[in-house]
Amino acid sequence: MVMGAEAKRRPAPGAAAPGARPWHGYGLGLRTEHFQAVLEQRPAVDWFEIISENFMVAGGKPRYYLESIRDLYPLAMHGVSLSIGSSDPLDRDYLRSLKQLASEVDPIWISDHLCWTGFGGINSHDLLPLPYTEQAIAHVTSRIGEVQEFLGREILIENVSSYVNFADAEMDEATFLGEIARRSGCRILLDVNNVYVSARNHGFDADTYIASLAAEKIWQIHLAGHSDYGNYVIDTHDHPVRDEVWDLYARTIERLGAVTTMIERDDNIPPLQELVAELGRARALGNAALSRQPLAVA
Amino acid sequence: MIRLDSLQGRFLDHLRRRADFPRAWCAQGTVDSDTGLAIYANAYAARLREALEADHPCLSRYLGDDLWSRFCAGYIEEHPSRVRSLRGFGAQVPQWLAHNPPFAEHAEVAALADFERVLMDVFDAADASRIDWSAMQAFAHPDWPYLQLTFHPSVRVFSASCNAVEIWRALKDERDPPAVRKDVGLMHLLWRDAERITRFRPIEDGEWPALQACLLEGADFSALCERIALGHDKQQVPALAVSILRKWFDEGLIVDVGRPVSPTQAG
Repeated sequence: MVMGAEAKRRPAPGAAAPGARPWHGYGLGLRTEHFQAVLEQRPAVDWFEIISENFMVAGGKPRYYLESIRDLYPLAMHGVSLSIGSSDPLDRDYLRSLKQLASEVDPIWISDHLCWTGFGGINSHDLLPLPYTEQAIAHVTSRIGEVQEFLGREILIENVSSYVNFADAEMDEATFLGEIARRSGCRILLDVNNVYVSARNHGFDADTYIASLAAEKIWQIHLAGHSDYGNYVIDTHDHPVRDEVWDLYARTIERLGAVTTMIERDDNIPPLQELVAELGRARALGNAALSRQPLAVA
Repeated sequence: MIRLDSLQGRFLDHLRRRADFPRAWCAQGTVDSDTGLAIYANAYAARLREALEADHPCLSRYLGDDLWSRFCAGYIEEHPSRVRSLRGFGAQVPQWLAHNPPFAEHAEVAALADFERVLMDVFDAADASRIDWSAMQAFAHPDWPYLQLTFHPSVRVFSASCNAVEIWRALKDERDPPAVRKDVGLMHLLWRDAERITRFRPIEDGEWPALQACLLEGADFSALCERIALGHDKQQVPALAVSILRKWFDEGLIVDVGRPVSPTQAG
């Protein structure tokens, strides 16, 4: 495993406490634009997260780079097509492709989103919001169970940014997410930027949201940039992480302890070293937050 | 309580067609529900349009902004995505363009789209190890008539009734495209080389019947020679056939060669 120097100096909380969350350091989303640079530069990144669907192809450059980079770095598989909250049946072909890819990649874990992406066989290719109801919890929990049984492993489920909430909600989003994780046994991929975006759009407190989640369930953190339009915020992934999200991240690490963290950039993608430098900020903030944490946490 | 399937069906209809989504179903947050729904609806159309642009950069340049927008709106309306990956969203683009005015009146438009989709197929076709000419030399000459070739999985044939590839090349190089010529139905061979770079070239004189026999029909070397003989002096056939074969090997198109086991040999 390639580890950054600062990360190496810190003990791995997961290793010290059996059953606690594993620790993989600081990673980046692996994007096509950086394939060659990753091989040439061998950047100081502890791990990469791949978009699973991008590699569900027969061959060619994506597969070549996947295999080459897999030999150098640990990989996590992050999907966008599970549609775990859809009323449509689970896509068994997709699950088979996911399992096959996992057998080739041997990922540190597999994640997807707490959302639905399509209905009636039509795919929106977007991460659409669910109503925070017992009905939806039962539906999603049952489907996560099926997915985990099929894959033979627990998955991580990520909170999404949202712009609409539904009137028949019976609870807040954090309770909804926490209950699904508790009942299904899945872990949480906490997207700190998404918490910030949804908090601004729906008027809740981001710190309270994070504090209400079971700390041991949160295995990974996403950081990303957003666009601020004043009255609302959109999760665009086309900017560096904004200061207000860095602040929320630092408070989150102080609260949770070390959580494997990565930065997502999906548009307006800068040179690789620019993202590596940005990841350095995550590393520094994370380590500083841990140094402020009471010793009893681990 | 609203059923989950009802909510999802109405929500998706709103994204696709701006069909009514009951505002009473939405909670009022800092963002009002009209704005929130508009964010999703705008993102839906923008994402599909971006996917088409990513797959068809030269076609979009050729059509220009107005026609491109018209095409995207029509295609997205008629072909909502039923695929997992956005990469497959535009699979019906060539057929759509060939059947919908004003695009259908310009054969080069659908042909350009078709060429760009073939390029995509070549890009991520399965991998396979190539063999070189020495593999042929390992067989005794009496075996040659029975030899069958296996082409690399990325090999494709593209045909058009006009100079679509020439137009594509100019657009790719950001030059003005040449005038449309419908009298030149050139065929092209496409493949991905050992460095995973997509290659293409016109199919040469005498090569098309050979490709028909070996690539499309899986026939053996003797059939290849018979096809070539239909258009050439018989004395030229052996040399021409060998030169075509040699070229295929040198270009990295061949992954296997062998003599099928006959039923008697198989016992």
